[in-house]
Amino acid sequence: MTVPVSQMVTVASYIVRQKFARRQRYPLVLMLEPLFRCNLACAGCGKIQYPAQILRKQLTVEQCLQAVEECGAPIVAIPGGEPLMHPEIHRIVEALVAKRKYVYLCTNALLLKEKLSLFTPSRHLSFSVHVDGLRDEHDDAVCREGVYDRAVEAIRETVARGFRVTTNTTLFDGASPLRMREFFDEMMSLGVEGMMLSPGYSYSKAPDQEHFLRRTKTQALFARMLANPKRRWKFNQSPLFLRFLMGKHDFECTPWGMPTYNMFGWQRPCYLLQDGYAASFQELMETTEWHRYGRRSGNEKCQDCMVHSGFEATAVNHTFNSLRGFLETVAVTLTRRL
Amino acid sequence: MSLEGWTPQIGPYLTLEEVVEHAFDYRGDITVVGTDGTEIVGYLFNRAARAPEPFVEMFDDAGQGPIRIRLADIATIRFTGKDTAAGNSWTAWLERQDKERAEKAAASGA
Repeated sequence: MTVPVSQMVTVASYIVRQKFARRQRYPLVLMLEPLFRCNLACAGCGKIQYPAQILRKQLTVEQCLQAVEECGAPIVAIPGGEPLMHPEIHRIVEALVAKRKYVYLCTNALLLKEKLSLFTPSRHLSFSVHVDGLRDEHDDAVCREGVYDRAVEAIRETVARGFRVTTNTTLFDGASPLRMREFFDEMMSLGVEGMMLSPGYSYSKAPDQEHFLRRTKTQALFARMLANPKRRWKFNQSPLFLRFLMGKHDFECTPWGMPTYNMFGWQRPCYLLQDGYAASFQELMETTEWHRYGRRSGNEKCQDCMVHSGFEATAVNHTFNSLRGFLETVAVTLTRRL
Repeated sequence: MSLEGWTPQIGPYLTLEEVVEHAFDYRGDITVVGTDGTEIVGYLFNRAARAPEPFVEMFDDAGQGPIRIRLADIATIRFTGKDTAAGNSWTAWLERQDKERAEKAAASGA
């Protein structure tokens, strides 16, 4: 597992502070969506289907900073849409880095080489490149040929210029564990710092409704894919979350762990479901009926979900909630045996 | 099935609250018809049915907003804009891929 030590210390001290303050619910990662427009139209994505006037809109730098301030999470992930299409994305990132937030700029990398000179390498900034598998699988997932090759080229260039680069991979039904293992080898050979994995979520608005993983299939896929992981594979996420995906833990969702802010406001209850919006982060936390979400709530939209935005925070909390959780995390990190 | 083009009739079998739920779930512009006959076209992105004064929020078709409208001031909502979530691009993509592969195979064979 490879999260830089400074980032680990920042997150750990943040969580300890929350525990001392006896906060029951606190955010770990802010999902900041500065815009919805994208230069791809991936089959599994339910984020970009909006009328033209909504796709033309974007958050201002000031709106982004205010959201980050309100939320207080130590990590800010910037998905979208494609964030590099935001004309002031470099200013947003620069301001967040100045606030010592750990920023994960999620991108399909189509514009990465062109925009790279707008950014400065920092341990607080990581480009999180969306790659869903090897060439055939990725190009199929993003519904355009040639995207994988461009992403690989951009990753090489970005690594060479001294930036932190991670990958984010969404897995759908039909993914081959063997091909994915080859994919991990390939990504590590490009010099990425670590990989992030998550099963896809069945957005009701996504065009492809047939290929989302159900819970048991998710566990079977991840158990095979991550069995005897090679030492060179590095994952930029909680090892306990990976064990959860493999069926070795039964976590409940923490929907407030990765709250989402976009042009509509603070999204209830999580990054994936859209059940309304709150005008402020405080309103989100205080007025969302959290008991209506998560697997145990019986909410049918939550039954098959095992996505990182709901469960990674649970996994991280598990590490800090008990000595057993902490020791398990340490053991998995040191032995790299998932 | 898309609701595009739907003009719901509010009455004993369909409440305004139900129509608002459909409009909230709809990924296209709608037209809010006020009780005073005025109309606002735009994208409805939020609703608060349990608020002390239930309301909807939208951006108009020029992107201006958010505009908050009390449910008490709404007569009905028409689904006038294109449903951007409709269609089946995954199938379309696969069909296009198959067609291109078949054409390439035919060309190389010829």
